Amino acid sequence: MYDLIIIGGGPGGVAAGVYADRKKLKTLLITDEFGGQSKVSDEVQNWIGVKSISGFDLSKALEEHLRAQKEIEISDNDLVSGIAKIDGGFEVSTQKGKKYQTKTVLIVSGSHHKKLGVTGEDKFNGRGVAYCSTCDAPLFGGKEVAVAGGGNSALEAVVDLLPYATKVYLLVRSDKLKGDPVTQDKIKNSGKAQIMFNSEVQEVSGDQFVSGVKYLDKASNSVKELPVGGVFVEVGSAPNSDFIKGMVDLNEYGYIVTDPKNQRTSTPGIWAAGDVTDLPFRQNNISAGDSVKALLDLYNYLNGR
Amino acid sequence: MTIKIYTTPTCVYCKMAKEYFKNHNLQYEEYDVTQDKSKLDEMVAKSHQMGVPVIDIDGTIMVGFDRDYIEQAVNSAGAK
Repeated sequence: MYDLIIIGGGPGGVAAGVYADRKKLKTLLITDEFGGQSKVSDEVQNWIGVKSISGFDLSKALEEHLRAQKEIEISDNDLVSGIAKIDGGFEVSTQKGKKYQTKTVLIVSGSHHKKLGVTGEDKFNGRGVAYCSTCDAPLFGGKEVAVAGGGNSALEAVVDLLPYATKVYLLVRSDKLKGDPVTQDKIKNSGKAQIMFNSEVQEVSGDQFVSGVKYLDKASNSVKELPVGGVFVEVGSAPNSDFIKGMVDLNEYGYIVTDPKNQRTSTPGIWAAGDVTDLPFRQNNISAGDSVKALLDLYNYLNGR
Repeated sequence: MTIKIYTTPTCVYCKMAKEYFKNHNLQYEEYDVTQDKSKLDEMVAKSHQMGVPVIDIDGTIMVGFDRDYIEQAVNSAGAK
């Protein structure tokens, strides 16, 4: 039986792994990949201690730091599918059919891209509908493209597209942008982007590939269509918490409710930290810090303190 | 066995796939589809979509980077 199973390979999971090794906890970390969601960022400028690093290099640095811990076992090509209560702890099962027993669990499984949930989105996924502007923006050279969203990731998608697309429409559901003012200025000064407020995407249309997007113009309450060759979806994130439903309390959006003092969940023996929790800020540094907090608290728990 | 990978310079999963090939001593040919329009057209024709990476292992086409799929394709190509 393990002392601890860490679920997730982002900054939170790695931070906990490093501390678990120092505390000599018998630990297994389960993830499908390292680095978390920043992995696809061109550049991370706020990982403390490093002026600038690409998301890819950051993910490699995190993986190397974890692998340098001799006591930590790693399962790096699997995902947790469920957790059940057993005598003296928990049984963690995975998508590849493995089962592991542990005294404690730390959930740092992060969050994922939310979908629009409109007609045509799945049909044209990869055929003009895209979720990774860093990856796919260069493929939209010479095309008009729409971006759905109003937060930072939507603004960054527009910036990624500006060198390639002939025009970028930013379809914002509300009446204002939420992303950083610096990025807003970059877009407004580009001369290539058109910001459209109160515009709610309703359908992605096309034949073999995307040729248009239908949206509700809430100001005039009419459905309009833009002839675009691509739709980038950047409408926020949702927690990776399906596997833990029923075991710990979740808030109305599915995020795990935690005590911010020690990252305990509603179930003794299970901790959670980072983007999967109900915290107001989703940041690499915060995930790492909260995860260390959880680790130190669960170490005390294992030692009966 | 011939491995082809269609990439863009900014695509992280392309880099991961290439590292995987290097770590497993697998030779591959890379096409940057932002530089070569004919390769972009070829990639779309093969995969019926326009996301990267697209990997072609002796005619087995896969979109994205999935270690298990690659392993399967390499094994079955090697067995031929």
